[in-house]
Amino acid sequence: MYSVSQIIGLLCLVLGTVFSMLGILGLLRLPDVYARLHATGKVSGLGAVFLLAAAIFLTPLSAGKGLVLIGLLLLTTPAVSHAIASAAYRIGIPIKAGQRDELRKRLPKIKPHE
Amino acid sequence: MTALIHYSVWGALIIHIGMVLICVWRVWRGENIIDRLIGLDVTTTLTLAILVLIAILEENSLFIDVSLGLATLSAIASVALAKYVADQRMF
Repeated sequence: MYSVSQIIGLLCLVLGTVFSMLGILGLLRLPDVYARLHATGKVSGLGAVFLLAAAIFLTPLSAGKGLVLIGLLLLTTPAVSHAIASAAYRIGIPIKAGQRDELRKRLPKIKPHE
Repeated sequence: MTALIHYSVWGALIIHIGMVLICVWRVWRGENIIDRLIGLDVTTTLTLAILVLIAILEENSLFIDVSLGLATLSAIASVALAKYVADQRMF
């Protein structure tokens, strides 16, 4: 009684919601700004993309738009996360959860002024 | 649309609304400016997800166009805010 597209859509819906929840859990629990950025990149990079895949299967006439939006999200999410991470590093937020800081050797002129 | 999909989309919608509230609380409590920026970024992404869920519920693909506009705006806004935070000037 369920068509194949409905089953796939339901699976993508559940997967997208699970990824978003994991991202939000990471946003709350992770100790460090950079670790939190890593987690929240998954919310938009994976959670919204799987929801869009579900929308493509479950909503009529939305295949083209959904693919455009999936491509846009997959392109912009890493760029945004990287921009925020470099902004955090430039204003001198310390790396609590990291082992070592490779960038310090290559960017000596950036001094943490906090 | 079968009942199972209808209820699961409603469940996902409620979960996403709860997550948006968590993110707004995160923006309010943010220790430093970058946490607030992350919270704003995730809030806009989750509103995009909510729009897509409404598109599934209403069986109307207009909402996906709206979420396309929201996605581009939120990406550009996040990058602009990050640059402003880093260099204290926008352009």
